[in-house]
Amino acid sequence: MTSPRRTATRRGRPLWMFLPGGVLTLLVIIVPLVLALYISLLDLDQYSIREWVGAEFIGFENYVEAVRDSNLVHAIGISIGYSALVTVGCLPIGLAAAIATQDRFKGRALVRSILLVPYVLPAFVVGSTWRIIFQPDGVANGLLGTSGLWLNGPRSFWALVIVALWSGWPLVYLLAAAGLQSVDATVHEAAALDGAGWWAKLRHVVLPQLRGPVSLALVISFLHNVNSFTLPFVLFGVPSPYDVEVLPVLTYVESFQNFEFGLSVAMAVVSLILVAIPMAVYLRAVRLDTGRGLR
Amino acid sequence: MNRRSFAVLASALLLGSTLTACGSDEGSDSGDNSGVTLTMLMGVNNIYPEQQRAWFTEVSDKFKQETGASVRFETFASANDELTKIQTSVVSGQGPDVYALGTTFTPTAYATGAFVELTKDDWDKVGGRDRFLPATLGISGPDQEHEVGIPFASRPFVMAYNKDLLTAAGIDKPADSWDALRDQAKQLTKDGTYGLAIGYADGFDPWKFIWAMTIQAGTPVVKDGKAALDGPNTKTAYQNYLGWLATDKVVDPAAVGWKNAQAIAAFGDGKAAFLPMVSASSKVTLDKSKVAGKYAYAVMPTIPPGATSLPAGGVGATSILSGDNVVVAKYSKHKDLALALVKLMTSEQMQTSYYKTFGELPTNQAAATALGSDPALAAIVESAGKSENTPFTGAWGQVQLELTNVVVQSIPDLSAGRVDDGKLTGLLGQAQTKAQQALDKAK
Repeated sequence: MTSPRRTATRRGRPLWMFLPGGVLTLLVIIVPLVLALYISLLDLDQYSIREWVGAEFIGFENYVEAVRDSNLVHAIGISIGYSALVTVGCLPIGLAAAIATQDRFKGRALVRSILLVPYVLPAFVVGSTWRIIFQPDGVANGLLGTSGLWLNGPRSFWALVIVALWSGWPLVYLLAAAGLQSVDATVHEAAALDGAGWWAKLRHVVLPQLRGPVSLALVISFLHNVNSFTLPFVLFGVPSPYDVEVLPVLTYVESFQNFEFGLSVAMAVVSLILVAIPMAVYLRAVRLDTGRGLR
Repeated sequence: MNRRSFAVLASALLLGSTLTACGSDEGSDSGDNSGVTLTMLMGVNNIYPEQQRAWFTEVSDKFKQETGASVRFETFASANDELTKIQTSVVSGQGPDVYALGTTFTPTAYATGAFVELTKDDWDKVGGRDRFLPATLGISGPDQEHEVGIPFASRPFVMAYNKDLLTAAGIDKPADSWDALRDQAKQLTKDGTYGLAIGYADGFDPWKFIWAMTIQAGTPVVKDGKAALDGPNTKTAYQNYLGWLATDKVVDPAAVGWKNAQAIAAFGDGKAAFLPMVSASSKVTLDKSKVAGKYAYAVMPTIPPGATSLPAGGVGATSILSGDNVVVAKYSKHKDLALALVKLMTSEQMQTSYYKTFGELPTNQAAATALGSDPALAAIVESAGKSENTPFTGAWGQVQLELTNVVVQSIPDLSAGRVDDGKLTGLLGQAQTKAQQALDKAK
């Protein structure tokens, strides 16, 4: 650990430039994180919040309660399940859109802007709109010829997947489009000279170059969905229907409806670990954490 | 580092930056108050936003005249906003001096121990405890010696009914028992019109129905720290409430997705004969709707499901004790001024003008008596007098959530036109366990 740092200093790298970011990170991430870890070990509730420092230290009891008595495990399943589905679903839609808008055509700029609309709409607006669409006598049932519930019961899970997919795929599109731009024109020419058809070109030239940006998009999309609070909250309200009881909403309810702050923070810590896993996998995959750039 | 010093260090780090910014808040209540500014936190009024701003100015001006100090009003948009503000203020020991809280939230606020418990002397400073309607004091504290909430506004729940539809069906007045109301509703359900408009997907309405029916049956959902969510009367209440849509078919099937506002809209459209569980604030919407001039308010039934008269031990509650209480923060450096502000806000004159502007009933005895003679208000005033307080426990928020959750998880069945007995029993069992756990933790 120490050797690259020493090397860097010796080479006169301006490490002080890290200071503004470092101080901010300390204040807005590390201090609250340490506090959260500490609070997750306290019996902190509405009765003790005023003098929270004096709240009873109960070790890992909040974690035990979260796993044993609450719907935490179920919520983790729902959160991961829908996030994975949405992430996988975003991939073909986003890629296809990026490839379709790669070559110039009249009105391309407009189309590209329109494609981003779902992504830039606030989750609150997306949720409210889809809430209306999914009413029992709403547009969804009218168009699909179905009847009954979308916002509660087994179908609500698919409602969540559909809405998250609708608002999430442009991220993949955006990063894939950016990746496509960076593919050197000479590569295309070379492939064309070698007689590659469009499919061969796509399969062997374009897609390999997109691996980096697209996998970044997928990781971001997955993490975003695991952490997404506003969308399920606005779509389904609280208490959550059982089939869409996602982790952030469960955590929220424990804090702001039940005032079980200790328990809620323990759940938040669990979800932090949960999102850290794909993050770590990704970082390893792209080797951002090995300091390769120094060599 | 031991636990305490670690925590102190951590909170010092966290609060250090904010504290310095607010260090100039010192002041004294005696003598010259000019330059002192009180802060009061209140819910934003979405129905009358301009009037609310005007009211803020009016109070502020009057207060300045009387005391020399000024008031700054802050508003919160939702219960979550309010809670976040209270939490941060309570932890940091700074923030608004005075808060207006919903009645059912008062026990939770009391549980934090962050608000001034009113002594006889304090009550005198707001004009005396006997200036208020006795019924509105029901949720000010766990007992008379430990009161924190000063009643400020009263919003009892009543039931709106469509006079034309009832007359056409030959019904002269809404029933006083839930069973008879259901029968009337059946009679009124025809040609795309339904007997009842119910917001099954509302986050708050469902528990109020269950609470009312169980207290009327003599088995309140919480009594003396014990939950009774799995008792037979609670189950009957749920079967009755869910049955309206599922089996009696007297509610529009689309109501499985309705919140309170959509139920009001359906009634306003003339699509339902009865609209239970609304407050006087629904008047604004209804007076602009198709049923303007064709509807009236009545108290909701007080005889529980399955009965024809109030059973022994039953309480004929027409509504939860609903409205706003005002509390003063313990950390306030201007307690006397804060009490003077409350005195001003609860004076007969201000309460009457508040009612005239916002439609919320006065808690001031004299102002309420003066209003009682208005026939249009008769049902609402009657309901105010027959409102019962929800249990005064810091765990009430959790109990309330569990009560609502049973309805949320029953909605798929409801939509399929059934009330599954086994599933309902299971849900009530879980709700009972969680509610009792919360009550056991109450301190």
